Amino acid sequence: MAVYKRTYRGYSGAITPSWSRFLVLFRFSRETLFRSKVQTAFFVLCFFFPLLCLLGIYANAHLSVFSFLGRRSEPLLNINGQFFFTYLTVQSTLSFILAAFIGPGLVSPDLANGALTLYLCRPLSRTEYVLGKMSVLVIVLSWITWVPGLLLFAVQASLSGWQWLADNLWIATGIVWGSFIWILILSLLSLALSAWVKWRIAAGGLLLATFWVGAGFAQAINAVLRTKQGYLLDVGNLVAAIWHGLFRDGVNMGFSVTEAWIALLAFCGFCLLLLMRKVKANEVIR
Amino acid sequence: MRPLWWTQILAVIRLEMKKTFFARRGLWIYLLALAPVALFLAHSLVEIHLRGVRHEMATQSRPITEQDLAAIHEGMTREEVIARLGDPPASRITMRRMPTGPHGFELIPGEVLRYSDGSTELTVVLEKGAVVGTGTTSGSSLGQDTHIFAGVFQFFFIRLAIFFGCLGIFMNLFRGEMLDKSLHFYLLTPVRREILLAGKYLAGLLAATVIFTVSTALQLTAMLLQFDTATISHYLYQEHGISQIVAYLGVTVLACIGYGSIFLAAGLLFRNPIFPAVLVLIWEAANPLLPSLLKKFSVIYYLKSLCPVEIPVDPGMPPLLALLVSNAEPVSAYIAVFGLIALSVAVLAASMTRVRQLEINYTAD
Amino acid sequence: MSNTIVFDNVSKFYGDVLGVNRVNLSIPPGITSLVGPNGSGKTTLMNLMTGLIRPSRGQIRILDMTPDQPEQLFRTVGYCSQFDSFPKGLTGYQFIYSYLLLFGYDPPLANELAWQAIDRVGLREAAHRKCGSYSKGMRQRIRLAQSLAHNPRVLILDEPLNGLDPLVRAETIALFRSFAKQGCHVLLSSHVLHEVDIISDQVILLSGGYVVAEGNIQGVRSEIEDHPMQILIRCDRPSVLASRLFGEDNVVEVRIHDDRRGLLVKTSNPNRFYLLMNRIALDGISIESVAPIDDDVNSVYGYLIGTEEAVR
Ligand SMILES: Nc1ncnc2c1ncn2[C@@H]1O[C@H](COP(=O)(O)OP(=O)(O)O)[C@@H](O)[C@H]1O
Ligand SMILES: [Mg+2]
Repeated sequence: MAVYKRTYRGYSGAITPSWSRFLVLFRFSRETLFRSKVQTAFFVLCFFFPLLCLLGIYANAHLSVFSFLGRRSEPLLNINGQFFFTYLTVQSTLSFILAAFIGPGLVSPDLANGALTLYLCRPLSRTEYVLGKMSVLVIVLSWITWVPGLLLFAVQASLSGWQWLADNLWIATGIVWGSFIWILILSLLSLALSAWVKWRIAAGGLLLATFWVGAGFAQAINAVLRTKQGYLLDVGNLVAAIWHGLFRDGVNMGFSVTEAWIALLAFCGFCLLLLMRKVKANEVIR
Repeated sequence: MRPLWWTQILAVIRLEMKKTFFARRGLWIYLLALAPVALFLAHSLVEIHLRGVRHEMATQSRPITEQDLAAIHEGMTREEVIARLGDPPASRITMRRMPTGPHGFELIPGEVLRYSDGSTELTVVLEKGAVVGTGTTSGSSLGQDTHIFAGVFQFFFIRLAIFFGCLGIFMNLFRGEMLDKSLHFYLLTPVRREILLAGKYLAGLLAATVIFTVSTALQLTAMLLQFDTATISHYLYQEHGISQIVAYLGVTVLACIGYGSIFLAAGLLFRNPIFPAVLVLIWEAANPLLPSLLKKFSVIYYLKSLCPVEIPVDPGMPPLLALLVSNAEPVSAYIAVFGLIALSVAVLAASMTRVRQLEINYTAD
Repeated sequence: MSNTIVFDNVSKFYGDVLGVNRVNLSIPPGITSLVGPNGSGKTTLMNLMTGLIRPSRGQIRILDMTPDQPEQLFRTVGYCSQFDSFPKGLTGYQFIYSYLLLFGYDPPLANELAWQAIDRVGLREAAHRKCGSYSKGMRQRIRLAQSLAHNPRVLILDEPLNGLDPLVRAETIALFRSFAKQGCHVLLSSHVLHEVDIISDQVILLSGGYVVAEGNIQGVRSEIEDHPMQILIRCDRPSVLASRLFGEDNVVEVRIHDDRRGLLVKTSNPNRFYLLMNRIALDGISIESVAPIDDDVNSVYGYLIGTEEAVR
């Protein structure tokens, strides 16, 4: 009998349930995530604007306090769909930059160091790997988008009463949905880029370029072909169109929300395809 | 007998060529260069097709002139229109959503009747059976197209396509080889580092100019494709077309020279190319806002003066954007070319002192 | 014109990390081996010599040239570095040929030199395959060929025998010898002394960034053996053990430890001493522990000499 057979005993303790196993990857990444000081500082900075909004909402509700100063008591701010649209625009820009910092470092080092194969040797499927890596971005970006957004909404609701809440519940849905769409797109794109571009930094640059050059080319299409459909190539614009729909502020981007959805789905599908092709190449056939 | 340094530069270019032209890593640069070509080509093909359609329509029914169209006014019914203009050779059913409240909307049925006089399309727009408007479309003219070309060239091609293309090509020259751990092979040959730098720069420049001037030439060709020879020769010989084309090609080359030198230097100085890229992009974009002395240290300043067609400032344009377009103090062509080359040479000279200090340290990254 | 490679008080710091410190060397022609464990500064010395990095202090002269004159230096120097990497997408032949063109040779001459070099390392069959697809040993050899293609008078080789099978290793060593016989400098590095000691005319031992011994191989060996090793023995009856040890000829000095629960022994031959301790332990003296005191220097020597305990 081989020696190892006599002495080797496999691990038989408790294991993470398979449904939540992908979160193991999040726990791995969490440790390295905030090691960079610049990154941490930037993350903290992302809470500045929500704080400002909170002050605005608060001041708005207690305007009566200031009325003795002789000011007219018309509302300082209109807390409506447009207010939250602005909130989301600012926060999404910040989350875009944050994603450009974090995203590329997720898959590319695994590919460069051959760790992907090691991961997939474990009882961890391709999908779970992608989910796990994506959860890092989703969780971190959630913290600066819809979580404070909902908080703001809750504060406003508590200040304005049940009627306001009942009338404006769609805003809350808009915040959550709007954020999730953006986060999903950012994470898919940055994971796909990070899987194809081994050099971490170049992947970050490419993420920026995808948005900038995409926006520029969209404008070029509009100018040359005398259309507005070019914006369908501009991911930022697509998401903005969907947000306008969600927040019901009646702004028309020149194409319908349905078109925007189709274009976005196609874009996400393409990213997923890119990502899966690269991950699949490293899978160990069991 | 060729001098040694020239032989060495040629040898460096020979080695680099494979990486600058045929690297899988650089495939996206071709995409960037060919995208506008595809765009202008698509536009020309669409226009040619539409012209055919208009011509076809005019043969199918009585040709309608603009005077005929002028007789149609709002409120007329479909029957009245047809009585005057005859059956339209083509028409299109439309449906418009009109919001009625915060949630609801009303669907308004409509129809567009299309007539043609052979070159111009004349349309009558009906909604709910009554005329709401008329219009003419006569395809794009060469004058319009050259203006649009000017805009795309300045805003997309130079500022984004050539910018990022040069970023990719020139940053890779040193940084990419440090990443591949193959730079030391160069440093272990009897080549002065200055010559190595010059060779690499020329190799990058060769790739960038070939890729992007070919792209510019193809774009111009694609743009002109839809027009007949008479229009084109009129443009070329009477409306300074040739000098415009030469200017566009020249600006493309100069852009490669300028951005190339900057990104070559950035690749030597910075470990992370994003920072310099963002910095340079912002610097170039903010150029019109800078004091006039600082303006001279940017590539776009010179290129903008050399662009042959001024971009008309749209009155609806946001003031900041309008500022980007306008060139407050254009410099003469000689000064612009000389200034840009002087800027590039200065940047390259600075890189040369840097490359002499260069140490191989592959581990840190 | 001087025919030596001179290091004059050379130090190199990577930020806070010490690469090499205060190196003074004068290396004559012949085969010279730089020997030291991993991280002792062998690669640093070689990179300094070839100008890939520059010294923080001190000066280096290679046959009267300085490392920052590549245009002269690399006509006489060839360096096969430790980096196991290649320019992308080149075959073995293209790799050597393209870089030979940088020397200014005209194409036919470069072609001839390239094939000469490829034949020297016996890679003719594989010459038209991509370097990336080579095995480790082949990669090592093609890089060796590249470094000697221009027939340099000074050949610097970083761990050139790594990854070679015994047959190729013997051929490669023969190649080095033929170079040395023509009056060239062959500088090679290794982390095992007995791998190179028979072929080396002189050996330079490095440890922790310092040159710890230098000279011909006999000199270095005896220097190591002359350096007595200090060992601390913990036992219950130190005085009995001490009297027992005084008679042994490899024991240079015995001292009772200050706390009276151990012995300090200096020995000239640690191996024989350890065997002796085994016998004594059988004799009934209960020994708690036997540990060398000045571990660093001695373990380095042990490692380099290749005694049974220390190898790998
Ligand atoms: N690029 C570098 N940055 C920081 N430290 C380095 C670098 N290169 C080498 N070192 C350090 O210098 C010392 C000597 O390294 P090296 O010359 O590579 O040793 P050897 O080749 O003998 O294994 C080691 O401690 C190593 O960690
Ligand atoms: Mg080494």
